[in-house]
Amino acid sequence: MTTFTPTYDVVAEAQAAGYFPPRHSVEITGVRELTDRVMRLTFRDPFIASHAKPAQFVNLFTHDDFMLMPRPFGVSEVEGDEVSVIFAVIGHGTEQLARLEPGDTVDVLGPLGRGFNLKEDANYILVGGGLGVPPLIYAAQKLAENDASFATAVFGYRNDHFAEEYVSRYADWSWSIDDAEGNVVDLLNKLEQGDDLKAYDRKPVILSCGPLPMMKAVAAWSAERDIPAQLSMEQRMGCGYGTCVLCTVDTVDGRLKVCSGGPVFTREQLGWGE
Amino acid sequence: MIDSNQNDNHINIYEPHEWKHSTKVAGVEWKNPVGTASGTFQYAAVRWFYDVSQLGAVSTKGCSPVPWEGNPSPRTAEGPASNLNAVGLQNPGVDHYLEDDLPKLKKAGALVVANVAGHCDDDYMQVVAKLADSDADMLEINVSCPNVTHGGMSVGTDPVALSSLMDKLRPMTDKPIIVKLTPNVTDITVPARAAVEHGADALSMINTVLGMRLNIRTGEPIIANKTGGVSGPAVLPIGIAAVYRTRTVLPDIPIIGIGGIDSGEKALEYLYAGANAVEVGAAALFDPVAPLRIARELDDLLDSRPELAAKLAAGNTWR
Repeated sequence: MTTFTPTYDVVAEAQAAGYFPPRHSVEITGVRELTDRVMRLTFRDPFIASHAKPAQFVNLFTHDDFMLMPRPFGVSEVEGDEVSVIFAVIGHGTEQLARLEPGDTVDVLGPLGRGFNLKEDANYILVGGGLGVPPLIYAAQKLAENDASFATAVFGYRNDHFAEEYVSRYADWSWSIDDAEGNVVDLLNKLEQGDDLKAYDRKPVILSCGPLPMMKAVAAWSAERDIPAQLSMEQRMGCGYGTCVLCTVDTVDGRLKVCSGGPVFTREQLGWGE
Repeated sequence: MIDSNQNDNHINIYEPHEWKHSTKVAGVEWKNPVGTASGTFQYAAVRWFYDVSQLGAVSTKGCSPVPWEGNPSPRTAEGPASNLNAVGLQNPGVDHYLEDDLPKLKKAGALVVANVAGHCDDDYMQVVAKLADSDADMLEINVSCPNVTHGGMSVGTDPVALSSLMDKLRPMTDKPIIVKLTPNVTDITVPARAAVEHGADALSMINTVLGMRLNIRTGEPIIANKTGGVSGPAVLPIGIAAVYRTRTVLPDIPIIGIGGIDSGEKALEYLYAGANAVEVGAAALFDPVAPLRIARELDDLLDSRPELAAKLAAGNTWR
């Protein structure tokens, strides 16, 4: 290992001094393959568990000295002091993280970024695609704590509907579609026609995370109906906390950092679908 | 090599600390020999993690005469023990720097090295003119960025252009001028000598090493700018060699060593190579508090090296 200080007490030290915790080591408590090459990893971290907001993310670090860059993942669920993330095994870094087992340790930093704004009592329509789904599971979990808001999940998958088990625990209504059946905008249209997107008298608000073409289509769909949309963006990232300026997105206010200006931006900020 | 940072040697970086070993760079005393490298330091981000006044200095993100939007995304890729970046010096411009970042950093008690970027000589001159009367403690001229099409590395690889630029900048300010050099040359001592002969008070080295990664599924570059600058532990030996060779030909010029430092031991290695101080860059991408932790580790390592520590405190170097 490199020379970082992977002891949990750095979190307590930082908090005692009034600072945000640095990178620290935590214990893996669960690893599960949800479908082919899609993993759900759970670790024990009281700080992140008590502070993470939906669409905030955590940086995970491999134990490999040749792969030092953090891997950022949106929090997918919090249970007690345990935090879960869901990721696809794409490259060597995620391959290493996928091989971790309960009892192993992993270095983390977080929670990072600005999450969804869930303050308004509304019918939140969670529109997710692929690996954009996990942060929306956490949004559903948080919304389930608020009786005045509703969560309608509208998820698109490539094939296996890998997150249904999790989102169905929390969402008031859960719908999904896969590539063989169509895309999430098809599903949104169908649900709208069947009057299935209404939640009593609550105002609809879109929360979306997924592939860029999907989110642009969702932004256009929401703009046509004048429904507010909060979109959680992804970008190749460096530090994750705003110091390296590697992960920008073009907005109406110029190039902003996805990690600290986002990852959540409004449709208006992105200038999409207007 | 020993690992100075095992858990039995745990340092609480948040406890008040009386720094034991200072250094001097161009007559300016740093409370310890560790600063942040420009490009990986944004006060608005770092201030949540530690007290920046505890560092020897902070070198701030390159600052241009007007706001620059930088390069399109993606801007980064990973290499073995390294990061590639092609930010392209995105920054809100010198006026914003003077109104926002600099006063905040000075209020926080930091010793500030203001890094200056430009696409042409006139750009650099405009920024230096505005910084000349500012509270910045030192200026650092970036003639080494590999990710801009004009200025940056194109100046630092051309000793004639570098000499000409320094002839213009030197009369503009009494503040110490550090020239930050690129390793993307055959012999770094050539631009080093040019900078010093034309008025540089100190040198910092190295900026990032030109590099590239391709996506083997598409056959195309990962970074939108195609090439980027490599930093991180992989470049450590390149930086050490640059400092050592420059020290050999320029025995008296203060040198700030940069490149691949992620521990007190590696900072110490730069000091033995002939550096007066070091700056920590990419390590802050792997842990926000890396610069302060490295400073604390080095402060302890210097306890058992009184000869080196005394030389640094007096403004001298190991070799």
